[in-house]
Amino acid sequence: MIRVEQLTARRGQFTLGPIDIDLEGDSYLTLLGPSGAGKTLFLETCMGLASPASGRVWLDGKDVTRTVPEQRHISYLPQDLALFPHLGARDNILFGARRRQLKREQVDARLDSLVELLDLHSILGRDDVSTLSGGEKQRVALARALLPNPRLLFLDEPFSALDATVKRQLQVKLREINRQLGVTILHVTHDQEEAFMLGEQIAVMIHGRLQQVGSRDDIYYRPATIDVARFLRNQNIFDLTVEDILPDGSLRLGNGISLIAPGYDGAERGVRLATGIRSEEVMVIRPDRPIGPELQDNLFLATVDDILVFGGTHTLSVRLQDSGVTVDVELPNCAMRDLGYAVGDTLQVCLRKRSLWTIPLNGTAVAKEAPDDQLR
Amino acid sequence: MLRRDTVFRFTMLLPLVILTGYFLLLVGSQSAFFSLSGFFEQLSQADIRSAIALSLLAATASSAVAVALAIPSAYALARLDFPGKRLVDTFIDLPMVLTPIALGTLILMAWNTAFGRILDSFGLTFPFTMAGVILAQFTVVVAISVRMLKATFEQVSPRQEQVARLLGCSAFGSFLHVTLPLARRGILAAIILTWARAVGEFGATVMVAGTARGQTATLPSSIYLAMSMADLPRAVTLVVILIGISLLVLFGVRLVMEERR
Repeated sequence: MIRVEQLTARRGQFTLGPIDIDLEGDSYLTLLGPSGAGKTLFLETCMGLASPASGRVWLDGKDVTRTVPEQRHISYLPQDLALFPHLGARDNILFGARRRQLKREQVDARLDSLVELLDLHSILGRDDVSTLSGGEKQRVALARALLPNPRLLFLDEPFSALDATVKRQLQVKLREINRQLGVTILHVTHDQEEAFMLGEQIAVMIHGRLQQVGSRDDIYYRPATIDVARFLRNQNIFDLTVEDILPDGSLRLGNGISLIAPGYDGAERGVRLATGIRSEEVMVIRPDRPIGPELQDNLFLATVDDILVFGGTHTLSVRLQDSGVTVDVELPNCAMRDLGYAVGDTLQVCLRKRSLWTIPLNGTAVAKEAPDDQLR
Repeated sequence: MLRRDTVFRFTMLLPLVILTGYFLLLVGSQSAFFSLSGFFEQLSQADIRSAIALSLLAATASSAVAVALAIPSAYALARLDFPGKRLVDTFIDLPMVLTPIALGTLILMAWNTAFGRILDSFGLTFPFTMAGVILAQFTVVVAISVRMLKATFEQVSPRQEQVARLLGCSAFGSFLHVTLPLARRGILAAIILTWARAVGEFGATVMVAGTARGQTATLPSSIYLAMSMADLPRAVTLVVILIGISLLVLFGVRLVMEERR
């Protein structure tokens, strides 16, 4: 569908890329990254709104690097929606069809299906789009982007200004659009929840570079770089050294805290590693329950230093008693109610081996063992 | 606290009251020299009617040319990147800061060169002609027009133009179907104010076209002529006409700017 090769672009002092990415037809890719990462510039370069400094953009096997935007047939929903205030809702939606001089019957049929899909019945006749609510504007802008029947839809943080309820409704609608209309979607967002909810594939862009492209699990549990790990709120990251390589390929790590971690190809003694575990992957061992074989490694006694409450979860900041290292442990409210921990309490935690990821600090590597029960 | 607010309001309102009073004094003081019968008597004179017609016609022509050139120029300055943009942007403001007398001198001097003589040989004569009046007014008002339109185009979101491109518009199509409609209020205001400034232009017009009665004398230059000959009823009549035109223009601009969409 769309393939980008060694694409670079400049805006002021900022340099994007080089970027390589290949997006298959009918897929849904979310491009996740912090503000200022270059996500919008990347979209603009792919759409022909910004000139690349180097590299190529291919659409359906055709090199479109020098093609004007109107001939790329990419639809675009920007952050501010850019509805045309001089046109009513209906004329906004039909704008693209009129400019492309699409056949009347085709346009009418398409409009009818979009009115159904996006529930535009009460909005279509509105003359002044500035009086529409945020959600209504979104639906009009989405219909305008979809009416010319694009094969590729670029979304640039379109829901960032919406309240949570409307946002969730539209997110669900987007999945429906992707499946029902067969539109390939590239959705830029800085919202991690949105990226993981919508993206079949997720690309993480930081500092103008694509740091990692992969499935939800790849990105969530096996960050390829420290920047990705930090951006995805991995709170527990340790700078450790490989002390030994065990017969099963696992690594014994040390330097402040002693851990058994999954091995990776080319692991060597003495190599420095960043090792981490998501706070929700840290297991709290109940004193009255037997410890299963997979929880025998990386068991630590810890003291609760602090408890932070976030809506549906609690985060316990615990200090490991033998090393003094602090680890964040996330517990759902129901578990927290059962366990009833308070500051100063002692508990036993397990940094389960298969939940640990490792990144050699001189490059990137992928952990050999992948968690198979990650989606708890 | 309330007392401080009152002092603040008074401090802001007092100068406004003084200014309004001053302008009312200026306009009202004309009544001592103004009578309706005298007004219509002056209007019946051919040279006054000629001055009014020339002013309206020349202002319409000069502002039409100015706006026609200013729209693409202002868009280029607002949106496009090109080498020397900052220099051009500054240079184009020159007529706004230069006194109109100096501008008139520049025009006259330019027509005294080989370039001017070539145009002259093709029948394009500007000094002391109606074409000169139009050229002088154009020179003075075009920069104002560019400046106003540039501000107008800057207020149109480039994102809307980009979306239009992706929906199938060419660059020109996007300008036509999105930018111009979105900028229409600003363009209308620019047209009205450019025209009003052209009607009132005096310095450059007098330098380039002179003040020949019935030929190149405009409303402002006729006022100057009347005052220099101490013909107060004539001067006041012309001033009243100019005030009428100005009030109509201001009312028009306000209507355009307050239009909801």
